[in-house]
Amino acid sequence: MAEKKKTCELFDCGHRACGGCGAALTARLVMQAAGTETIVVNSTGCMEVFSTPYPETAWKVPWIHSLFENASAVASGIEASLKKQGRKEKIVIMAGDGATFDIGMICISGAFERGHDFAYICYDNEAYMNTGIQRSGATPYDASTTTSPAGTCSFGNRRPKKDMPAILAAHGAPYIATASIAYPADLKQKVEKAINTPGPCYVQVHAPCCTGWGFEGDQTIAIAKLAIETGLWVNFEMVDGKVTKVKKVVRKPVEEYLKTQKRFRHLFKPKRQDAEIALIQAIADRNAGKYGLDINLRKE
Amino acid sequence: MMEITEGSHAVAEAVRLCRPQVVSAYPITPQTHIVEALADFVANGKLDAEYITVENELSALSACVGASAAGSRTYSATTSQGLLLMTEVVFNAAGMRLPIVMSIANRAVGAPLSIWNDMQDSISLRDAGWLQFYAEDNQEATDLHFLAYKVAESKEIQLPVFVCFDGFILSHTYEPIDMLLQEQVDQYLPKFDPAEKLDAKDPISFGMYATPEYYLEFRYEMDQAQKRAKDVIAKAGKEFGTMFGRDYSALTVGYLLDDAETVIVAMGSVCGTVKDAIDEMRAAGKKVGLLKIRVFRPFPSEEIAKALSKVKRVAVLDKNISLGAKGGATAIEVRDAMYGSMIPVKGYVLGLGGRDIRKKDIKEIVSLCENGIGDQFYGLRKELI
Amino acid sequence: MCQTLCPEGCVHEDAEGFFDPDFTYCKGCGICATECPKEAIAMNQEEK
Repeated sequence: MAEKKKTCELFDCGHRACGGCGAALTARLVMQAAGTETIVVNSTGCMEVFSTPYPETAWKVPWIHSLFENASAVASGIEASLKKQGRKEKIVIMAGDGATFDIGMICISGAFERGHDFAYICYDNEAYMNTGIQRSGATPYDASTTTSPAGTCSFGNRRPKKDMPAILAAHGAPYIATASIAYPADLKQKVEKAINTPGPCYVQVHAPCCTGWGFEGDQTIAIAKLAIETGLWVNFEMVDGKVTKVKKVVRKPVEEYLKTQKRFRHLFKPKRQDAEIALIQAIADRNAGKYGLDINLRKE
Repeated sequence: MMEITEGSHAVAEAVRLCRPQVVSAYPITPQTHIVEALADFVANGKLDAEYITVENELSALSACVGASAAGSRTYSATTSQGLLLMTEVVFNAAGMRLPIVMSIANRAVGAPLSIWNDMQDSISLRDAGWLQFYAEDNQEATDLHFLAYKVAESKEIQLPVFVCFDGFILSHTYEPIDMLLQEQVDQYLPKFDPAEKLDAKDPISFGMYATPEYYLEFRYEMDQAQKRAKDVIAKAGKEFGTMFGRDYSALTVGYLLDDAETVIVAMGSVCGTVKDAIDEMRAAGKKVGLLKIRVFRPFPSEEIAKALSKVKRVAVLDKNISLGAKGGATAIEVRDAMYGSMIPVKGYVLGLGGRDIRKKDIKEIVSLCENGIGDQFYGLRKELI
Repeated sequence: MCQTLCPEGCVHEDAEGFFDPDFTYCKGCGICATECPKEAIAMNQEEK
């Protein structure tokens, strides 16, 4: 039997994430990009909980969890301390969408406004997953969650996704990117850029959640790809507030993405909701227009 | 070195001398002068610290958590609404055993909104795990900060400390202060050197979650640290006395206790008024004494029981309420300390929201206590109820 | 591909260049099998 060459992972196996977890993969890839000279600040959420059940930890870098909303503020204090001590470690914040889009808004706004040097990585699984799938500001239109359930008088979440990249661009963040676990090399490149660009940088990573969205764990990457291919998730980069790079796609109709997940099942069963599907298609079309997503296959 | 300075400025100067590396600041009356003075020091090269103007108090303490975990001595100041807003982090910091020192310029809590002094803010968080020191005057307010860092950072303790002093009454009044020199503070307070910190050279995880199999012991350890703190405070306070002539080894300080029949137990600036009132009562033949509590957490139960073992009656003053109880928080804990004794302990809730306490109020309370009347609010304006 | 996309990070390359999961940590999610461009991995139900 051949000897196994063990590669050193700074986010190690043995964590308690669900099989097929998008967030776990995000943590692995981010740490591969970040390296050993990193201090991780983690908000309360799935990642913190599945990676550090006392007395075990999956993190082979210095790691701190304080509370749900305050990772940016804690990171601000660490940054100040490192500056005074003349230390060169980089600070990476890892926070879910709940911690980022909702409860952490005040702290994020303050930290970005003050211009601290850190990379804020939001693993976006589009709901409060750790507490059992409740709706957050990142939950997409018509997604069913326990606090925005689909029912006889409801199609699920009524509001579109909050545009966090735009909000942070307005704060003057020098580098902002969206990424997906479907494109790991691209994700790592963006994380590296965020870490190495001085100032507060933000990378929002699409991290599909099999448990919360209702699909089999082996489909995580495939569904992440479909999100991009339908235009419902856009991979882009912003430098000093201006979009500089966008991943173009040959767009598929949103239905191909929606029908893979239980959280959108109510749009198809018991009855097809064409009006709602059309509204979601409109969101994708708007994204396409805004970011120039569509690859032109034919020259007119 | 003697100087006449405003309470807040004295505190800011004491903090400056402690050489914090990171200071976080958010304005709130009546502590704002402290953080303003610190900003001025930084801007003029007198304090070599990173100064973070945070966007709310929760972030103020969170920044301290990060800085402390990364290995820096750190500081912030707050009061009242600000302290309550950061409550979650207050418990978190103590649970993570970070030796943060925070000044509390005691102020009443809303609703109704009040900017004036009482002790409800810090008293309401008495079980968060922070040590609590209460200053009688600005000299104590100043000195207690040196003591706070020394005790907080000691390896046996590693708990954060509130240094409390009455808002406006102390923070905004000018008093003569004997301010230590930098060389003296450097001698007393060594460089912050935590056993554990966030460091890529030796990675550890801070602040994980603990299942039922592990949680209880963490809280037990905190309780034990508070108990050990009494001796650490005594040692550090004695060392301060030896080096600088002002001894802070005692958690409680008696005034004319020896032959006292009635003893008033109190904390903070009211003790000054109480002492003046006692002097007048003594001149008139009444045997009254004061037991000042300078350290509220850990609560000096044994010291209090011992000091009050031979008196006829005890009057506990509380500038805070513990709703439904007989008196305020201090009265409850004093009674607990004296459990088993037949000496009557009466509680008086007074001075809330900055209502003035005068010598004649103290005398009246002593009379009430002598007549067995107590466990009530004192000084109510009957026409308002 | 499988090593990159495994959420557990438990797929390791051996000296011969083959990739195998470490079954102490493998949760059987099946991403590796789904994503392998060569369909070189098959998922088998565990039997008692």
